[in-house]
Amino acid sequence: MATICTIDISSDAAPGFGGINESMTLTQAGSLTDIDSTTGFQRRKLSATAAVDLITMASENIEPKDSVASKVYIRNIGDGKGNIDKTVGVTIGVNAEPIGKLYGGDWMMMPLTCIDADDVTATPATDDTVVLEFVMFYEEA
Amino acid sequence: MATTTAAVTLTSDLLSDAMSVNASTTCMKAGTTADGLDQLEYAVVEIPTGDEYDLICSTPTASKASKLYVKNHAIDETYFVAITQNAQAIGRLYGGDWMFIPADFHDAAGDIAITSNGGTNKIEYALFHEGTALTTT
Repeated sequence: MATICTIDISSDAAPGFGGINESMTLTQAGSLTDIDSTTGFQRRKLSATAAVDLITMASENIEPKDSVASKVYIRNIGDGKGNIDKTVGVTIGVNAEPIGKLYGGDWMMMPLTCIDADDVTATPATDDTVVLEFVMFYEEA
Repeated sequence: MATTTAAVTLTSDLLSDAMSVNASTTCMKAGTTADGLDQLEYAVVEIPTGDEYDLICSTPTASKASKLYVKNHAIDETYFVAITQNAQAIGRLYGGDWMFIPADFHDAAGDIAITSNGGTNKIEYALFHEGTALTTT
């Protein structure tokens, strides 16, 4: 069983930049064994500026192991009806620390500690409807 | 307009029905629809074990739409770097792992820091941004 993630970045911001194309197989910490647990693919619809937990570590059905090789993928897919607004952003945070803002269409792939306090939060900048897709991969404790 | 696109393909057979996600985004300046990120900081550094270092030497303009890519090129799967932001632990990148995140550098303390474990880790990073605080000599 394998979970594989590939990134392809191109940019003409610098004429000599040749782009980035990398792939990684998600493995358990310090080994070549494939990562073995996932939350499954989920959607969360937000229509207010209040911060919400996307992932509450202490409430996962299968307890995640702390401080290993967990990863989360999150994407702002717009209003969920095919309309993607680049001006509508959602700040993604970990344990109340803001990491950065995903504007319409933006995605992220980030490692996680999965420590109980380190919940993944989402805080929309406006009350426009925005839908986030996300999935976490982790090791079972 | 400078154009920076970031595409991802994510596949997994952990579930009964295989998952496959494809997405692509054009990285725009904060809150705009027609003006792309036009500045780039791109480097490869070797991080020795021990101290924690700031990965980003200068402070990109805060609360913007910067995007940060980091890859750990260590070939030993037991090596890893711990990533923190503003002293908050984010997670670990083991040898071969990469991450791609929005990074709004909300204030001077919001730098991304990195600590090497296991041995020296070779780190590649690219920061796409829309301005930085230049340091006068």
